[in-house]
Amino acid sequence: MRWSIEHKETWLHETNPTVKLLLFLPMFIVIVFVHNPNVLINWTIGFTALFMSFSGYRMKHMLLFFVPFFFIFISTSLSMILFGKGETTWFRFGLIHVTEESFYRGVHLGFRTLLFAIFGLMFALTTKPVFLFYSLMQQAKLKPKYAYSFLAAIRLLPIMLEEFQTVHQALKVRRAAKAKGFRGKLELIKRYAIPLLSQSIRRAQRIAVAMEAKGFTNERARTFYYELTLGKYDVYLFVVICMIVAMGYYVADAFPYVPIKDVR
Amino acid sequence: MQTKGLKLTDVLTTVVVAIVFGIVYKVWGPLYYAVKPLGLHLDQLIYGMWFIAATVAYLLIRKPGVALLAEVAAASGEFLAGSEWGLEVLFYGFVQGLLAELVFAAFRYKRFDVAVVSLAAVGSTIASLVVDFYKGYIDQLAWWNLTLFIGARFVGAIIIAGVFAYSLVKALEATGVTQLLRPTTKEDYDSLDK
Repeated sequence: MRWSIEHKETWLHETNPTVKLLLFLPMFIVIVFVHNPNVLINWTIGFTALFMSFSGYRMKHMLLFFVPFFFIFISTSLSMILFGKGETTWFRFGLIHVTEESFYRGVHLGFRTLLFAIFGLMFALTTKPVFLFYSLMQQAKLKPKYAYSFLAAIRLLPIMLEEFQTVHQALKVRRAAKAKGFRGKLELIKRYAIPLLSQSIRRAQRIAVAMEAKGFTNERARTFYYELTLGKYDVYLFVVICMIVAMGYYVADAFPYVPIKDVR
Repeated sequence: MQTKGLKLTDVLTTVVVAIVFGIVYKVWGPLYYAVKPLGLHLDQLIYGMWFIAATVAYLLIRKPGVALLAEVAAASGEFLAGSEWGLEVLFYGFVQGLLAELVFAAFRYKRFDVAVVSLAAVGSTIASLVVDFYKGYIDQLAWWNLTLFIGARFVGAIIIAGVFAYSLVKALEATGVTQLLRPTTKEDYDSLDK
């Protein structure tokens, strides 16, 4: 979505989107089954370095992207630090009970979320949605009706944003753009959602008719405007990920930062 | 009458509606950690918004597979818009959509009332809790805190993805737009014979 931000095209942009997705998604499962904070800290450093060096974006922009990560780091780790179970008490005040175990577990959770976020950002910033869906059709055999629906929907976003502004201004003029309380807020969401959704549905219907007429439902062999293939950069990415993963384990074993090997 | 599987029209409408919710999911992120007042789990009350695409799409289009597709599409939209949570939203989206879909399948896609969508919201909540269990060690929270956490998430899910989603679709029905979407029913054919 963010390809309008000025950047250089690096080898990460050249990798096949499907391959990238298939390399990144399993990392979620791998990370969930790692319980040693040292490993996660090393991986965070490694993948942040990969992202910073090869995303092709300016340092200024990358640091801005990292701002929300700071909040989610705090918010995911804090509940566990303050309210987690543990034996060695560090601090107790009313309901708050900070222990050594819960502290490390909280920090571990923070790094876990950070890693997912870095993978997500790395993918989103180096992949054009158009190529992603073309590649999914060609390499992953996704049915064209799904892929082209996604592509059409993405193209509709600017129109939706414009409509949102129109509705917002209309409500403002009528002094109906604010509401109090939980109920009022839900009503407010409805006030925005009904016109936006109904218009989107009508538009989707019209576009679907046009797309059907032009043969976008054709499930058999078809040609593509963009031909995406696999290349050497996919191998590079695979090797780099394997290296960071292996190094993370090795360094965690040889030079641990924290004395805990399992946070459970 | 009804053809098997989803047609391009169904898929496109589902995806378009879902992408609208995908943007909502994205802006819901900052809201979620803004209302996180030091772990008292008030934030869990608004977690249910992340289940709403499945229930709304199902109520609108009323076909098998729509709930799962909508939730996955909304998660993809959120992800491509640059979600703070990154890739994990795709996993959450998939399991949440899957459990909502299973609830609808359990009623053989024949019921479209507020009870069924609330049940689907409960299904999505359970799915999200299962992922949280592995990802977030939530079983390691103090018991009172965990109870509050789970309770708040269920309540929020039923209010937002159940009751609110239902009232949203009811309001959309009033605009007449839903007539474009739904498969023709037996009543429609019967009304022709009168």
